[in-house]
Formats: sequence, C-alpha cells, structure tokens
Amino acid sequence: MSEDIILSLRNVAKSYGSTRVLESINLDIYQGQIIGYIGPNGAGKSTTVKMMLGLITEFEGDIEIFGKNIKTSGVAYKKRIGYVPENGDIYDSLTPMEYLSFVGGLYRMEDQMIIRKATELMRLFELEHVLHTRISSFSKGMRQKVLFIASVIHNPDLLFLDEPLSGLDANSMMIVKEILDQLANQGKTIFYSSHIMDVVEKISNRIVLLADGQIVADGTFEQLQQQNKEGSLEEIFNQLTGFHQHQEIASSFVSIVENGDKDG
Amino acid sequence: MIKMDDFRSLRILDKFQSLFQKAKVDYPMMREILQLKLTMDTRRVPTIFHESKSDSGNQFLKSLGIYALMGLILIAFLFGDQYIFQVSIMYAIVMFIIMTSTISDFSSVLLDVRDKMIIGTKPVDSRTINATKVVHITIYLCQLTMAFTAIPMIIGLFNQGIVFFLLSLIVLLFVNLLILIMTALVYIIILRFFDGEKLKDIINYIQILLSISMIIGYQLVARSFEFVDLNVNFSFEWWHVLMPPVWYGAIYEIVLNGVTDLSYIILAILGVILPLVAIFLYIKLIPSFERNLEKLLSNSGKHKQAKEWWSRFWSKVLVRNKEEQVFFDFATRMLKNERDYKLKVYPTIGMALVFPCIFLLTDYTSRSIDELRDGSMYFSMYFSLVVIPAGVQMLQFSTNPKAAWIYRAVPLKNENVCHRAVLKAFLVRLFIPVYLILSVLFLVIFTERIWSFLIILVLVAAIYSRICYQVFLKNVLPFSESYQIGQSKQSGQALALLALTVAFALFHYVMTLASFGSYILISVLVFINAFLWRK
Repeated sequence: MSEDIILSLRNVAKSYGSTRVLESINLDIYQGQIIGYIGPNGAGKSTTVKMMLGLITEFEGDIEIFGKNIKTSGVAYKKRIGYVPENGDIYDSLTPMEYLSFVGGLYRMEDQMIIRKATELMRLFELEHVLHTRISSFSKGMRQKVLFIASVIHNPDLLFLDEPLSGLDANSMMIVKEILDQLANQGKTIFYSSHIMDVVEKISNRIVLLADGQIVADGTFEQLQQQNKEGSLEEIFNQLTGFHQHQEIASSFVSIVENGDKDG
Repeated sequence: MIKMDDFRSLRILDKFQSLFQKAKVDYPMMREILQLKLTMDTRRVPTIFHESKSDSGNQFLKSLGIYALMGLILIAFLFGDQYIFQVSIMYAIVMFIIMTSTISDFSSVLLDVRDKMIIGTKPVDSRTINATKVVHITIYLCQLTMAFTAIPMIIGLFNQGIVFFLLSLIVLLFVNLLILIMTALVYIIILRFFDGEKLKDIINYIQILLSISMIIGYQLVARSFEFVDLNVNFSFEWWHVLMPPVWYGAIYEIVLNGVTDLSYIILAILGVILPLVAIFLYIKLIPSFERNLEKLLSNSGKHKQAKEWWSRFWSKVLVRNKEEQVFFDFATRMLKNERDYKLKVYPTIGMALVFPCIFLLTDYTSRSIDELRDGSMYFSMYFSLVVIPAGVQMLQFSTNPKAAWIYRAVPLKNENVCHRAVLKAFLVRLFIPVYLILSVLFLVIFTERIWSFLIILVLVAAIYSRICYQVFLKNVLPFSESYQIGQSKQSGQALALLALTVAFALFHYVMTLASFGSYILISVLVFINAFLWRK
C-alpha cells in the first residue's frame, strides 16, 4: 500500500441554518484503501460525500482531493472520480447504452472506447441482451449494475459507492466485492458507504464510523475489535453509537403485536 | 450506433458555437447534455396526450401538432384594427396556453433532482450546466410558440402587413421571456414556503386546468368568430396595468395606429421593462432556488391529517359493515391522493359541470328566460353522467399497480364487498358533488317543479354506475392495473356506455309524458337499485 494521500478533510464542518450536521471532521485517505464509511441515518455521511463530490459547495474547512483544494481548483478533479448515488438516480427513459455513452461523453471519452467498454462490461454482468432496452423496465439489481458500470467506465482513481450492493443477488455481490478488491490492489481508492455491516466488515481495510456529525471510530476492523471488546462490526456499531435499547424496543413491539391481537 | 437522434435544433445551435465559447461555456459538454435531454423529451408523454397511450414515436412532436391546431383559434383575432382589444385577447390566450403547458410538461425538466446527482458529479462546470438549462428551456419554448402561432402569424403577414408580422415576432420574444421568468418565480415562491409534495399537487392542478381548457377551448373555437365584429370602446383603467396582455395590445396600437395617448405609452413601457426587471430578479433568486430544490427530495413539511367530514358523513349513510367501511375509506383516500387519477378524471368533471350550462346558454340566446324556465332543457343535466364511465374506468388503474398484492394477502371473504365499497367511494367523492352543484343551479333556474327529475336522475346514476363498473372491472380488482396498458382497448365500451345515457334520458323523457309516469319510474328505479346494490 502506497502512502500517497488521495483525499484529506481539514476541519470540515457544516450547518443548515442553526442545526449543525457536521462538527469539524479531519480525515486522511491513502491510495489503495477501501474505506467502509458507516454511521446511523442522519449522522452526516451523505453530506460529507456530497461535499467531496462538489454537490454541496458551502461548508467550513478545506477538502483536498488529489492534492488540490476543491473549493478553488475547478471541476477537473471530477474526471478521476466515479460515483454510485445513494438513491440510485438514473435517467431511466434511456437505454443502458445511451446512458453509458452520455456519462462517458461527460468524461470526454472517445465514442468507440465507450461502446467497446460498455458492451464488454454489460456482457460480464450478463446484461448484454438489454443493452438497448429502456432502464425503466429494469429490476433494482439490474439498475445497480448499470450504475456501477457507469461509475467505473472512465477508469477513475477514486470511487464513491453509496449502498451499491443492496439489490444484487449473492453471486453478483461476490463479483462486485472481488472487483473492488482488485481495483484497490491496482491503486484505486474506494469510499464505500453501506448499512449492511457484514459486507462492510469483509470488504473494507479501514472503517470510519460517523455519529452525530463526528468521527467516533477510525481504523481496521481488528483495531476496532480490540478497542471495543466486541465481536462483530454490528455490535461495535451499536456500542459506539450508544444504542443499547434494541431489546427493550423489540419486546415492546412484540407485546403490542400480541396484545393487540388478543383484544381485537 | 449508440448515438441518440441528432436534433435539428442542435444543428442550428452549432452555428452559434463560437458565441457560447466566448461566454466561457463548454460547448461540447453542453451539446452532450442537451442531446440527452431532448432525447428524453421525445419519450415523455405530454399532458395533452393523456388519453392515448402508445409509447412509440416522438411524443413531443405529435403534441406540437395539437398545439398548431389549437393555434387556429388565434386567427379570429387577426381581423380588424382594434388592436388594444383583439391583440390583448390574443396574447392572453397565447400566454395562458404556453404558461400552462410549460408548467405541466416542463416542470419535470426544471425540477429534475437527478441532474444534480448525475451531471453535478461529472467534470462539468456550473456555468455550463446553467447555460444548458436556459438553452433547453429556450428550445422548448421556441418550438411550442412556433407550433402555436406559426399559422396565425402567416395569415397576419398577409392580412395586416409586414410591420404587424415583425412586431409580433419581437413581442412574442418578450412574452416568452415573461412566461419563463414568471414560471420560475412561481416555483421559487412555492418552494420557499412549501415542500415538494405541495408543489407536485399544484403542478397537478395546473395540468388539470390545462386539460379542461383544451376541452372547453375546442367549443369556443367555433364561437370565437362571433367576437370579431364587436366594436368595443377601450378606456384606460388602472387595473390594466396588472394585465400583461394589455401591455402588448398597447404596443400594437402605438406602432400600427399611431396612438400617442399617455396611458398607452405607460402600458407599452411596462411590457418592455418588466421582462427585463424579471430577468434581473430571476438571476438574483437562482441560488436560493437551487437550495430549495433539495426540498423536492425530502418531505420536510408537516402534513396535517386531512379533514374528512364529507366522506365520513356519506360512509354513515351508505356503508353497512366493517369490512365495507375499510375499503370505502381506503378508496376515498386513494382517489384523493393519486395524482394520475385526478389528472385523467378531473377534466371530465369540468366538462360535466360546464356542458349542461353551455346547453342552457345556447337555448337562452334563442329564447327568453321565461320560455327557458317552462321548457325541458333541464334534461341537459344528464350530461353530468359522463363523469361515471370516465371515472369508473380509471378505478382499475394505479400508479403502483403491484401494490395490489395486498388484496390477495388478506383474508378477504367476499370480493364483492370491496367492489361495492370502491364504487360508493367514487360516487361520494366525484359524482355527488357535481350532482349537488348542478341541482342547486337547476333548482334556481327551473324552480322546484323538477324535484322528481332530480330524484330520478340520481337513481339512474346509481344504476348506471353499477353497469359501468360491471363493464370495466368485471375481472380486475380496483387499483391493480398499470395506467400504461389496456386503457385504449376499452374505448368501444366507453362509447357504448355514453350512448346508454342518451337511452336513459330518452326513456325518462317519454315516461314524464304519461300522467304519474315519474312516480312509476321512481318506484321501479328504487326497486332495481335495491336489487343491484344488494350484494
């Protein structure tokens, strides 16, 4: 693993009106790392990702990507970034080929190159028969595969993936995990955000846990295990986010379900 | 090839390439995005097409044909030289049509939040993205305006001369500018105070308004020529300042008739200055617009539970048991919330309310009010029955047809209960209001002598709706089919059902000729209803 800093956040903070969503984040990401970026809903995960992608431009502190401050460097850095958005946003009245050639075009790729790559990548995901079918008819898993291809078609050095695996079947999931692993070995850096803890646990070589707008844990899975004396990432997650009531909530839930039944 | 269609508008745009590059806009990127956007436009079904469902061909181009046809209405205002009057009406129509279509068909484009995620993350600078948005809207407005006004303009060229023609080109430019900015300002204001759901509701109602005005517009085309010979004396009132079409009428008076009245000059100046002021305001407000656009994604506003006194009252009157009650409440709420349903059915409600009145008016122009009162024109109220086949047919569809698994997953003993409850909910929510409004109006005009007519009509409506329901939902559960399929197949049935209303009306009329005919009819209808609604 090389020691080049790809991405660094310095005292990054963000408020919406009077509510503070991020408190002074400091983070250095090195080349070839797969970062599992986790945290409860509303912790500020997607806000940070949107800042790094330049979707949110007003924030305190500085973000440097590939050694340049994104507030001042212009949009050229985005050429080396790939992104799978959290809501799976895609222009679904287009066909995958049309969509991929559009995205490739925005990255200024040659037409021939786009066609060749898109066809081959779609074939590997067993989607070649729907290359010219509108995406609106696709299942969730198929959409995610198209989104994933769109995020890597221009051979980016930094990948932001927001919940990219949740609609995939076990086999496809295995393929994507392996792809991410090999991409990281080639020196790509991957920022991986998900709620599926055991996937994060297996896939990442560094885990960053965000809670209430602050980084509460940062390290390899083994390091987190030692610090927190807990077995799985899920348990560590619960402990660090201060969540212990799952049993009480569950038993109230069950008793309401059952008693409601008796009375009604 | 993968390439999407090459558009003529883009090829014209290519000629201005250097202009964009001087403005530091990344032209190849802009072209790429525009090409995608225009391709997507051709695959969108415009509001005026909501009846047809074929997914093939360039939907947008076809809709332009309809606008061209509608534009013929403007020809009526091209004769004569009472510009302040004619031209003002003409621009009122132009502005209304273009603004409503922009809002109903182009909102999804203006408010597409996917843009931010998909294009914002690519190496395209915000200057280019904003320029692209403006050019895209401009292309849309140009096409729409050309389709709508081309034929009238050519006739105007021959009829009113070259000055009129050139002046119209310039004025249309200003009018479009004003429309564009006004639309954007409306969005900015709505988004400032409400959340995305409210905005979607408002857009939905504007779409409905557009559909209604299309239908009524067709009726008016035929009559519009009657206005031509009108001789109206225009005198300036302060409130003319608030009416943009009058500004442009004043410009025509000044240029073509040489009027130098101060009030006309004020109006004309407003017509030129305000669009420019609006642009300035728009540029100032754009950043806040972009920020508020995010509200479309989140549902931040607090929503109060809707008041339901109307349906609760009727459910006490009409609903018999618990199971039916559940489906009745469910269907009422579905009918209230499904925007697609409202878009397809509410225009018919407009028709049902307006057409009986148009019949009365036509009759009134040829006779005196007393003759009208003594006549049988109240039978035009039978026209209100059009709501029933239109609305019942749509009951089988839903935006989320797959959610109909719920019917299969619950222990539903008797499907008929569900069907009956849904039909009742439809009548309560859509037919009864129309019926009551028209009843009050007709009671005022025709006095209480028509009470038996009104009772017979509501009994007929109950039977008729049951028949419609049998025809359309014989084999399907309510809200279980997609709007995309199967709708056009049933147009034959819909027509036959409309013919049935005429048969009902004729039979009813014949019965009233006999002594006690109405009373016999009422008792027969009550009996049939009791039988039909029994299960």
